Amino acid sequence: MSLENEHSAPEADNTSSTESVHPPKPASFFQERPPQVMEAAPQLLRRWTRRDLLLFGAGAVAAVAAGGALLPQTTLKRLGIIHDNKNWQRKEWLLNKSLRIDDDVAEALYSRNRLVPTYTKSQITPLRNNYNGATPNASYIPEWRLTLDGLASGLSVSLNIRNLLASFQVHEQITRLVCVEGWSAIAWWAGLRFDDLLRAYPPMSQARWVRIESSVNLGPWGNPDPYFVSLDLSTARHSQTLLATHLNGKPLTLEHGAPLRLVAPVKLGLKNIKAITRISYKGGEPPDYWAKHGYSRYDGI
Amino acid sequence: MPPSTQLDNERIATSTPESEAGVLVVRRHHLLVRCSHWLNVPILLGLILSGVSIYWASPIYQHKPDPQTGSLDPLADIGIWICAHVPGLHQYSNPPDWVYNHISLGPGMLAVALRLHWLCAYLFMLNGLVFVIGSAMGGGWRSLLPRQTDLRDATRMFWYYIGVPVAKLTRGSWPHPRFNTKYNPLQRVAYFSVPVAGLLSVLTGWAIHKPMQFHWLTAIVGGYDKARIWHFWLMWVFVLFVVPHVILVLADGWDTLRSMIVGWSTKAQRSEDFSQ
Repeated sequence: MSLENEHSAPEADNTSSTESVHPPKPASFFQERPPQVMEAAPQLLRRWTRRDLLLFGAGAVAAVAAGGALLPQTTLKRLGIIHDNKNWQRKEWLLNKSLRIDDDVAEALYSRNRLVPTYTKSQITPLRNNYNGATPNASYIPEWRLTLDGLASGLSVSLNIRNLLASFQVHEQITRLVCVEGWSAIAWWAGLRFDDLLRAYPPMSQARWVRIESSVNLGPWGNPDPYFVSLDLSTARHSQTLLATHLNGKPLTLEHGAPLRLVAPVKLGLKNIKAITRISYKGGEPPDYWAKHGYSRYDGI
Repeated sequence: MPPSTQLDNERIATSTPESEAGVLVVRRHHLLVRCSHWLNVPILLGLILSGVSIYWASPIYQHKPDPQTGSLDPLADIGIWICAHVPGLHQYSNPPDWVYNHISLGPGMLAVALRLHWLCAYLFMLNGLVFVIGSAMGGGWRSLLPRQTDLRDATRMFWYYIGVPVAKLTRGSWPHPRFNTKYNPLQRVAYFSVPVAGLLSVLTGWAIHKPMQFHWLTAIVGGYDKARIWHFWLMWVFVLFVVPHVILVLADGWDTLRSMIVGWSTKAQRSEDFSQ
């Protein structure tokens, strides 16, 4: 075939030497270099092959063992690899560690001065109520009060919705709420800035965290299942972190957390707790509902 | 001692064999490239298994609820179809979950899937770094770069592959086009595209993971929802690459497979017609 002629270069005989003695100077930095040919004794090649195949086999065994240790037990059971629950806690160590590393990365990426993108009203999308528990009975609304704990004054403060709306400036923003499940929605919020509340009622000096509790406290069958989140104070002080009272120009409905909910667009939706009843400032990190279920505790996005 | 320098030293020591004739070998893959190549197998498997479980929590492709099954998710529909049509699966307990039960950690595993995905994603990025360092040290990256003749030569390779089954059936002669490069143009396109797809997976992954702190990145890839679509289809690039990759390596023979383990190949002939 003509291919033969096309590619067999009329080059000097370089097969007699073990390596091309005068390799042609490459025309450019990006040009592929001639292959490095060398001569080796067959028994040496066999030895290398044996050694490298053994190493490769050891690596393959290690990979299978790592997979067995890291994959969830329900997956392994479904595949018929295990039949009983093994020591769950030990196997989770590496996965939990990687989650902590990812949280540390998220915290390092976060900046109080970096604003999240805002949208126009034409970009608003429907926002679903993704809470799988029972929506609380409306009867708490007339009695609703917000309690603040862990303040610099050492006192506990109780506010009603009229106090809040009268004493704080209302801010509006159209931001994206991103759910850990992967869906997102663009919603138009209005409410007071968390930062303004922190200025009006300063937390104790050693406070680094906020624990937020909610009227949302029923599971799918009406069983007690209180919802609460932890929030770092740095996120609470972000200018787009709102204690929202309105959604899409109307007061919050029961489904969306009437009368006051957290809107922290720099966090996953699950931190955006509805129907807030109590805000407590803490020195150490408080527990978090979804962190207890194996999700991130920082949830910065 | 890394095998590459060892290869040099021992070659000098054994370059004048008395008993057995020496064999010409050619260096193929740097040690770090080989390590990153094989580490990709468990890492990508972990990323895909956990990724499909994450996908389950909120599929990017949804249709109106099916009146009969209530399903919104085409992957659930495929499971229902498989259980209805494949013999032996008619008794399957939860047909909508069939696909997820077979190509993911399973449905309802979001928390653990996310943790596994982060673990594998960080390992994947580190492994990408290992590949870049190995390619730079061994100079192998030059063999992956596209060239001007690729379009013409890739067409030749394409017709060669098309003709192989015909030639086998008719027992005719159908020579493999010869190239004086490490890879043929089709290989080169594939081996160049896969690291690019890896880079794009990482970028779209960060765009989904940190859409607020990296909102500029999310905007570059077309927004949050588009980033999820890109990320999903990039997974299929890996899957669609791996299938022919494995078949062709096995078809090519032991020397090619071994070269990715030991780093050298005894197919040294190419050097004879290496021309500029």
